[in-house]
Amino acid sequence: MGKNDYIGAGIFIALGVFIWAVSFQFPVLTGGHPGPSLFPRVLGTLFILFSLIVILQGRRKSKTPPPAEDEGGNVIIIGKENYFNAVLVIILIAAFIALAGHLGFIITGGAVLFILMWKLHVRPLAGLIISAIVICLIYSVFAKGLRVPLPHGFLWW
Amino acid sequence: MVRNMDAFVHGIFMLLSLKTFLTIVACSLYGLFVGSIPGLSATLAASLLVPFTFFMDPLAALVSIVSMSAMAIFAGDIPAALIRIPGTPSSAAYTYDSYALTQQGKSQLVLGTDIIFSAIGGLMGAAVLMTAAPLLAEVAMKFSTFEYFWLAALGLSATVMVSAGSQAKGAIAMCLGLFLSTIGVDITLGFPRFTFGNVDLLNGVSFIPAMIGVFGISEVMRNVSQRRMDFAITKVKTRGMFAGVGKLIKKYQWNMCRSGVIGTIIGVLPGAGADIAAWIAYAASKRASKEPELYGKGSIEAIVDAGTANNACLAGDWVPALVFGIPGDSITAVVIGVIFMKGLRPGPMIFEQQPEIIYGVYFAFIVANLLMVPFGWLAVKVSSQMLRVPKNILIPIILMFAITGAFAINNDVFDIITLGVLGIVGFFMEKNGYPVAPIVLGLVLGPILEQNFMTSMIKSDWDLTLFFVRPISALLGGITVAMWGFPFLMAFIEKTKKNNGAPAQ
Repeated sequence: MGKNDYIGAGIFIALGVFIWAVSFQFPVLTGGHPGPSLFPRVLGTLFILFSLIVILQGRRKSKTPPPAEDEGGNVIIIGKENYFNAVLVIILIAAFIALAGHLGFIITGGAVLFILMWKLHVRPLAGLIISAIVICLIYSVFAKGLRVPLPHGFLWW
Repeated sequence: MVRNMDAFVHGIFMLLSLKTFLTIVACSLYGLFVGSIPGLSATLAASLLVPFTFFMDPLAALVSIVSMSAMAIFAGDIPAALIRIPGTPSSAAYTYDSYALTQQGKSQLVLGTDIIFSAIGGLMGAAVLMTAAPLLAEVAMKFSTFEYFWLAALGLSATVMVSAGSQAKGAIAMCLGLFLSTIGVDITLGFPRFTFGNVDLLNGVSFIPAMIGVFGISEVMRNVSQRRMDFAITKVKTRGMFAGVGKLIKKYQWNMCRSGVIGTIIGVLPGAGADIAAWIAYAASKRASKEPELYGKGSIEAIVDAGTANNACLAGDWVPALVFGIPGDSITAVVIGVIFMKGLRPGPMIFEQQPEIIYGVYFAFIVANLLMVPFGWLAVKVSSQMLRVPKNILIPIILMFAITGAFAINNDVFDIITLGVLGIVGFFMEKNGYPVAPIVLGLVLGPILEQNFMTSMIKSDWDLTLFFVRPISALLGGITVAMWGFPFLMAFIEKTKKNNGAPAQ
C-alpha cells in the first residue's frame, strides 16, 4: 500500500465521474424510468465508493511494516526488474498492428519474435533461426491449417 | 441418472472419435507443459487455447479445456516439489510440504501421491458434476429473470470476497469488467453507450481478445519484466514412483473424501477456483490432523488433502457454468465464452437440447483424470527437461500466439488493439495488487446481470420488492447481501475483540 494506491484509486474515481458525466447523454425509458444509463450510473457510483475504501485502507496499512521476503529453496534470482521490456511488449504489439498490413504477417511477426528474444538475451543467430522457424509454424497452423486470412503484405503467399 | 440413453451413447461415441480423442491427448500434453512452467497459469493456457477451439466442433472445444485444465493443475505440483515454486497458484498451498519432502529424498513419493490423488480428486469432482448438474438443471428450469439476476450477482460477489488481498480492489476489478460489458449497443433501447462514434465498439468489447489480453498479455509483460531465475533441479527416478501410494490411499481415505467434498463445494460456489479449494482443504486437514506440527515442514497428509481438493474443484467449477451460465472460476469464464462462441447457450436448456455434449463433457473429465496417471508419470520423467525450457524463448512465442489468436477470432485488427489495451490494464492492476480474474468474470456476467435486471424491472413495472418476494430469489438475494456484509461483520468482531483485550486472529 503506498503512493500507487492513491494514484490507482484516483484513476478509478475519475472513471466513475466520467461514466456519470457521459450517462447524462443517454435516453430515458417511457415514464421517466432510467434505461441505458441505470447500470453505468450504478457502476460509476461503485467505482467511486470502492476507490475511497482503497484510499482509506491504504492510509491504515501504510503504518504497518511490510513482511520480509522469503527467498529460500534452490532458486537464484539474477539481475533487476526491467520494466522497459514490459513497455517493449506494447510497442511490439503496436508495431505489429501498424506494419503487418504492409509487410505481411511473416516479416512483421518474425521481427516481433526476434526483437523480443534479443532483448531477453537470446543470442542473435539463435534468435533469428528460432524466430524464422516459429513464425513459419504459426503461419502454417493459422493460415494453412485453420484458414485464417493473415495479412500477406507485399509477399505473394 | 441417464434419462436419454441415445444422447448418452452418442456423447461417448463423439468423445471417443479419433479426432476428439487426439484433441484430448494433445491438450493434455499442452496442459502438462504449461502447468509445469512456473509463472504460466492454467488460465493463460486456457485463454491461448480458445482461438483453436474456434475451429473445433463444440464437444471437442469443451473437452480440450477439460483435459488441459486437469493436467495443468496437477502439473503445477511438479515444480513445487522440485524447485519450491508452484507451477500454478493451485499448488501454492502445499509447496513447502512438497519441497521439504523432496529435500528428505522422498520426491518419488510426493510426485506419485500428487498424480494419484489429483486423479482421484478429479474423478470425485466428475461424479458430483454428473449427479448434481442434471438435478440443478431441473431446478434451474423454474428460474426466472429475478433468480438469474441474483445468481449473477452472487457469482460476482463471491469472486470479490475470495479475491486475494484487498476485497475493495477485487470489487473495483469487477466493476471494470462490468463497465467493459456496458460498452456497445444497450439492450433496452439499442442506444450506443461509450462508443464515441467508433463502429468497432458497437458490438461491444470482444470477449476473447479481452480475455487473452487480461490473462495472456499481462502475464507476458510480467514475465519479461521479472528478474531472471536460475535453479538446480532435483532429478526424480520414476521407477517405483507409485510404491507406497496404495498405503496412503488406505490410511487417508477419510481425508480424501473430505477434501474431495471441500474441493467440489468450493468449485460449485461461483467465483472461487482451485487455489482457494487447496488452501481451504489444507487448513481443514491441518485442523483435523494428528500431526499438525508437520504442516509446512513436509506433511504428506497435507499434500493428499490439498492435492485432492484442487483437482476435485475443477469439475465442480463446471456445475454453475453449465447449469446457470455462471462461471465457477476464471477457467470456466473462458468456457462460457467458448460455449457462446459455438452458438450454444449455457443454462438448463443445454441439458434438454444438446444432452450429448453434456454427457461428452462428463466423460471427458473421467478420461482426462484416468489419462493423468500415465501422462503424469511421463511428465515427471521428463520434468528436468521441461523445467529447463528457456522462458526467454517461450515468452515471445506466447506473445505471437496471443496476437495471432486474437486476430483469428474475427479477422479484425481492432481485436489486437483490445488485446493490447486490456493487457496493459491487467499488467498495471496486477502490479498494484488488483486481482484480474474479476475483470473477466465481470465481462462475462455483466450482460446477464443487466439484461435480467432490466427485464425484471420492466416486467414488474419497476417494483423492486419482487426481487425478494419469490422464495428462491429471496434466498439467493439474502445470501448475496449477507456476503457483502460479511467483511464488515468480521471487522466489527475483530475490533470488539481487540477492545475487550483478546488477541486479534
